[in-house]
Formats: sequence, C-alpha cells, structure tokens
Amino acid sequence: MVIFKDIKKFKHKGSFEGWAKRVTVNVALQKFRKKSSIRFDDLEESKIPEEKVFIDIEEKDISLNFLLSLIHKLPPQYQLIFNLYVLDEYSHKEISEILDISIGTSKSNLSRARQLLKKEINTMKKLQL
Amino acid sequence: MSKDIDKLFKDKFKESKTTAPTEAWPVIQAKLKMRRINRLIYTFSVLGFLGLISFMLFSTQTEKTLSKPLQKNTSLKNEVILKGKGVNDVNDVNDVNDVNDVNDVNVNKDKLPVSKPQEDSKKLYATITTEKESKNNMPLEKTSFFKEKFKDTVIEKQVKRIDSLVNSLDHLVDHLKDDLKKEKKKLIKKKDSIDVVNFNKEKRRRWNVIPVFGISNSGRLSDNVTTLGTTRAVTYPDKYFDDNKSSGLIASTYGFNVVFRATNRISIQTGIFSKELRFLTEGLFLSEFIPDVNPTNIIYNPGVEVRFSNTPDIVGSESVSLSQSILYMEMPFEFKYRMFGDSKFNTNVVGGFSFLYLNKNEIRAKTNTSSRSIGKAGNLLTTSTSLNIGLDIEYHLSKRLVLNSAVMYKKHYNTYKDYNNEYSPYNVGMHVGIGYKF
Repeated sequence: MVIFKDIKKFKHKGSFEGWAKRVTVNVALQKFRKKSSIRFDDLEESKIPEEKVFIDIEEKDISLNFLLSLIHKLPPQYQLIFNLYVLDEYSHKEISEILDISIGTSKSNLSRARQLLKKEINTMKKLQL
Repeated sequence: MSKDIDKLFKDKFKESKTTAPTEAWPVIQAKLKMRRINRLIYTFSVLGFLGLISFMLFSTQTEKTLSKPLQKNTSLKNEVILKGKGVNDVNDVNDVNDVNDVNDVNVNKDKLPVSKPQEDSKKLYATITTEKESKNNMPLEKTSFFKEKFKDTVIEKQVKRIDSLVNSLDHLVDHLKDDLKKEKKKLIKKKDSIDVVNFNKEKRRRWNVIPVFGISNSGRLSDNVTTLGTTRAVTYPDKYFDDNKSSGLIASTYGFNVVFRATNRISIQTGIFSKELRFLTEGLFLSEFIPDVNPTNIIYNPGVEVRFSNTPDIVGSESVSLSQSILYMEMPFEFKYRMFGDSKFNTNVVGGFSFLYLNKNEIRAKTNTSSRSIGKAGNLLTTSTSLNIGLDIEYHLSKRLVLNSAVMYKKHYNTYKDYNNEYSPYNVGMHVGIGYKF
C-alpha cells in the first residue's frame, strides 16, 4: 500500500525493484520501532567474535517453519539485524545507517543472534536424538 | 557435515521465496516512465495556460495604467484641435477619442504649444493626425490582441446566450398569444352560443315597437346661406338676399320605430316619423313692392304685398327675419348591429336610409312686433331621401319593455330644385322612447 501511495516519490534513479524493497524494509522497521523499544547490545570491537558460525546439521533435517520459529524466538534487536543482514542481504554499514547504530553494534548483535540460533538448533538436534 | 548458519537460513528461505518475474520490473519501470512523461506534459499544459492567463491579466493592467495618461493627453490634444480648427468644429473632437492615440499623443506631448499661434496648432494637428494614421499597428494593440480576442469570445458567447433566450421567450410569447387567441375564440363562441340560446328563448318576442320623441338641429355643409333668395340678378343685386346667412333651429321629432330582431346580433327597423327642419334667415328689411319681378324662391300667399331686401330702401325700414319650417314624414329603413352587450344592456350601430315626404312648407316673417305666415318655399321637392348613421342603446327594463335611445346623423339628398346636394341640409338628432316587445 505504501509503495502505491508513494510511487510518485520514485525518482527513476536506480531500479524500481530496489526502491520497492527499500520502501518495504523501511515500513517494516517503522512498525517494528513503534511496537517495541529496541535496545541494541553494544560490544567493544575487539570482543566481537568470529563472524562465521557453523553448525553440524543436514539441511533436509530441518524445516522452514522451524527456522522461522527460531527467528521469532530471538530477542527483537537480534531478530531485526539477523533478518536485515542474512535474509535481506544488507551490509553492516547499511544496517548501521538504517537503524542509526554503529557498525560494531550491528556486528555484535548479529553474532549474538547467530550464537542463539546455533544453540537452539543444537538443542532441537539433541531432542530429536 | 558442518554448515554456515547464515547459508542454512538463506538457502531454506530461498526455496520458499516467491519472487516476481524478473521481466516484470522493467515493464513496471517503463510504464512509470510513461506516466511521468504524461504528467510532465499535463503540468506544462497547466503552466502554459496559467501563464497565458497571467499574461492577459498583465496586459489588462498595463492598458489600465496607460489609459490614465491617455485621458490627460487626449484632453490636451482636444485643446490643440479646438485651437487649430476653431470653436465651430467642436464636434470633431470626438474623432480623437481613440485608444490607439495613446502613443502618438505621448510622442507629441512635448511639442504641444497650446498658446502658440493658430498656424502652428494646425500644423501640429496635421502631424498628430498623420502619426495616428501611420501607427495603426502599435505594440499596444499587439499586447491587447489576446485580451480583445478573449473579450470577443466572451461577448459572442453572451450574445449567443441572449439570442437563444430571446428566441425562447419569443417562442413562449407566440405560444401564449396563440393560446390566448384560442381562449378568446372559445369565449366568443361560448358567448355567442349563450346569446343564441337567449335569442331562441326570446324568439317569441322578436318584434319591438318603440314610440319615440326627440329633438334635432339642422344645418348645411355649404356656407350655410339661405335657400330662400335666388341666384344673383344683375339688375337688383341687393334685393335677392341669396347670400344671407341662414342658421338651423332646434326642432322636434316624433313617431314610432318598429324593430325586428333577425338574429341575435342583427335587427331591422323601420317606422314613421314626423320630422321638422327649421332655418332662420336674418338681416333682412321690408322692401318696396317690385311688381315686375319675383326674384326669390318664396311663393307668397295671396294678399301678401311685402317684399324683402338685405338693404333698407328707406330710412327706418323695419328689420325682419324669415323663419322657414319644413316638415317631413319620414320612413326609415335601417339595420342595427349589436356590437356588445348582454341580456340587459346592448349597444348597436345603426345604418340605413329614409324616404322623406314633404308634409308642410311654410315661411313666416317675424318682426319685433309681429309674426305672420307669408308663403312657402318654391324650391323644395316633395320627396327626398336621407342617409342615416348612428348609435343606438337599448336597456331592457323588463322582459317586454325596452328603453331605447339613439343619436342619429342624417344627410339629406334631393331636397331642393335647382340646388345641388351641397345645399341639402343635414340633421343631427337624438330621440328616446320606451319600446314594447312582442
């Protein structure tokens, strides 16, 4: 609805697809902010753990719904940054600009989100066994 | 097998991700571009129109601003023209009251030497006129071109609108007129039918006998000279008093009318009347007896030995006047047409003619002391006619009684021997009577 309403604001610079995506994200963020006051965890740059997190699991053993439920279980600030970085493929710089946070904060929150997800997946794995 | 957690999520979500076809985005983008172009065209059109309106308004303002100095300059120019052409040519001043003069008047404003001699003013007037003619296509005209066009269009539209309104009104008026005419015809028909009904009801009372009494006065359309003298003779011109003035006297009329109502509007009437005409010839004197000639139209009674002249023969001749009485038995044949009225009151126009039979013919000589019948007029015809026209009013007092009154004008014909109809008298009279219908 917002895209249709604000279509006049499309400046024809860049693709329409990108513009539409950005509008959608922005609207989602606005709604998200209204619903809850988010506090991002600030960590020192040096304490930010390794970026990549690996898990020992077969893709076929895990369902989409389960993964979605895991994301929903995350605290909002982790959820938000994980979605933006992993699913929407924003860079930390972009995320920092969108959410008005530092790049380090974005990285640390993402790392926390990954750790929590890993923990949850492992827990599930143990239960299945 | 270990797997990057990010990749795990990405891959899993990609499987279920539904994306729009890739070719859809360029199409949407192209359509949006077209829409943008259309929007730009529309915006420019609106801006152009607004610009045009602003331009025209600006032109109007400019002209208004210019018209003030124009008036001043025109009056100045008028003054110059008056001085150049003379006061008698004052009407020509109107010739320069033209909007187009504004520029050329401005150009020559500095040149206008109002107090200069007449020759200079004439030259200047010539210059102004020439420049006026040569500058018919001034920039001011150009700038006001659109304004004038716009005005023309508006006026034309208004004129067309008014024309259509006028046509509509004309149409409406015609319609109303037609309707009213039809209504009038209907009413007349209705009234006529009522009259016919009434007439049929009164069929038994179509005859009306009206005894009438009236008075009338007579005169002549000619110089109103007496007809008792005779054509002027050479020998005794003063003896014949043929040019003595004669005036009519009021006389009485009586008789009865018989009216037959033929239709509800037309009646025929006749009757018998005794009608008297009286004339008085004055300014005569008793004259000496002239036995050898009888120069007048008077037939004297036997034994009457006096004669008359319009000059006294001897000092102390007695003055005398002759009173002529002509009594006719009249039988009119007239038509009456009812113009308007109702069952109670009717107004009719009357026209017709009368046969007149001479019943009495007498001339009396009147002095201060006596009156004596001396004879009769010898120039009257026994039968004559008259043409009658008049107005008749009827008032129904009851079913059978009708009060009738009429004013009649009757012109007599063939009244005299040896006189043409110019000398024949006319008669204006009025009579009243109460008629009985049966």
